[in-house]
Amino acid sequence: MYGLDAISANNGWAQALAGGCIVLAGLAVLSFIISIFPKIISWFEPSPAVGVSEDEPKTAPQLKVDAAMSQSLLTDVNTAALIYQSLAHPLGEKFSLKELYQLFNQNQVPHPHLIIRGFREEGILVPIGDGIFSWKV
Amino acid sequence: MEMLLQFLSNTGYYLAEYRHVLMILVGCLFVFLAVAKEYEPLLLLPIGFGILLGNIPFFKGFGLGIYEPNSVLHYLYFGVTTGVYPSIIFLGLGAMTDFTSLLAQPKLMMLGAAAQMGIFFTLISALGLGFLPKEAASIAIIGGADGPTSIFLTAKLAPHLIGPVAIAAYSYMALIPIIQPPIMRLLTTSKERLIHMPEMRHVSRREQLFFPVVALLLCCFLAPASIPLLGPFFFGNLMKVSGVVERLAQTARTAIIDTATIFLGLTVGASTQADVFLTSKSVGIFALGAIAFSIATASGVIFAKIMNLFLKEKINPLLGAAGVSAVPGSAREVHLVGQKEDPTNYLLMYAMACNASGVIGSAVCAGILWSFNIG
Repeated sequence: MYGLDAISANNGWAQALAGGCIVLAGLAVLSFIISIFPKIISWFEPSPAVGVSEDEPKTAPQLKVDAAMSQSLLTDVNTAALIYQSLAHPLGEKFSLKELYQLFNQNQVPHPHLIIRGFREEGILVPIGDGIFSWKV
Repeated sequence: MEMLLQFLSNTGYYLAEYRHVLMILVGCLFVFLAVAKEYEPLLLLPIGFGILLGNIPFFKGFGLGIYEPNSVLHYLYFGVTTGVYPSIIFLGLGAMTDFTSLLAQPKLMMLGAAAQMGIFFTLISALGLGFLPKEAASIAIIGGADGPTSIFLTAKLAPHLIGPVAIAAYSYMALIPIIQPPIMRLLTTSKERLIHMPEMRHVSRREQLFFPVVALLLCCFLAPASIPLLGPFFFGNLMKVSGVVERLAQTARTAIIDTATIFLGLTVGASTQADVFLTSKSVGIFALGAIAFSIATASGVIFAKIMNLFLKEKINPLLGAAGVSAVPGSAREVHLVGQKEDPTNYLLMYAMACNASGVIGSAVCAGILWSFNIG
């Protein structure tokens, strides 16, 4: 048996429709539950800020850059580059973007993705191959 | 002299047919693609060599072939026919997978669900072409673009099709750079491809710990038949994120998954003996596999566009193509297509979220199809 007859005889339409709906509904519910994870977690352990990692240090390290400062620095990329280069000094001359991102995160630099992207766009962070970057001299 | 003639009549040279030569050429092609082009070498190299191994003609009854009881290959193949290797591979995959991008952008999970529509479209097509329901379900799962899931479901429903289904699934996974980009470009405008995704929020360790447990319970209560895949998968992930059994997680994502991959690839390749592989059904499976893969890609992209009609913060519809569970090939392609349009657009992390969701989605689909066809 072939064609539409075969599909109908083997419950093909019902299987496809039910299967598609089940997987969509299942993952939609999972997606919803994930989206409320931060709230659920905050019920178990009320914390001052939802979404902030409990394993992050409570006090800021010595080279903390606050949000307002970060915003102003984003508008003046060259000045910002000098400050961020000094912040990234422990990485040496060559580093991967992942290492730089982790360092910025450790130092609680707001919007590390945006900052790194900005430096890439301005040509301040230059690729030197194999996923390694360095600051433009 | 008679003994010499008898020996010669038992050699592969004497027993070889054109079908063996054809399959050996296919095996050589796989090995070439793996070594020279580096197309999915972790899969294509063992499968390619397995094809060579399985298509050396031999005298039946010596206990040499993969389908002959008591042969060494038959024992190794046991892990495929029982679904043991796919489960072990899922354990390692879980220990490798980073769900933080998915937890930061939960809406991307819907793209992983949408891309599974290729599976159900192919199910209908395969039934329409005259395949039996269990065979059709095994062929349809190729649309999930997940090798171990395809092998697992086929082993349960239509073991005689493991060779063609596995080869089709892995071939299309290797051909992602050729299949997906044209579909992505066809279904999106340049303006849509330029959409930048918002920066991800920080995901706490506690969220990462909750996820595998909640996801396991939710998915496996919904489709209990997916327990053999999702159980090890989420257990592997819990080992990873818990940080208390780093040694076990490290073993799962290195030695264990590598061992299973070697034996799975080699025996699946060896199962493609010319006499059981070169049939008209195999041709149909390859054709349907291509359709399944293409529709899965397209449905992910189209669903992302539909989501954009309702979302304030638009998502880049290219990400829909990463909803198939070919990790990380499809995520890489999405990223590259996005970068061709705008070199400053970094979609990789978001695409990995869709990929991770696709792995869960295809395993759930396998469970659903298995449930539908039990008995």
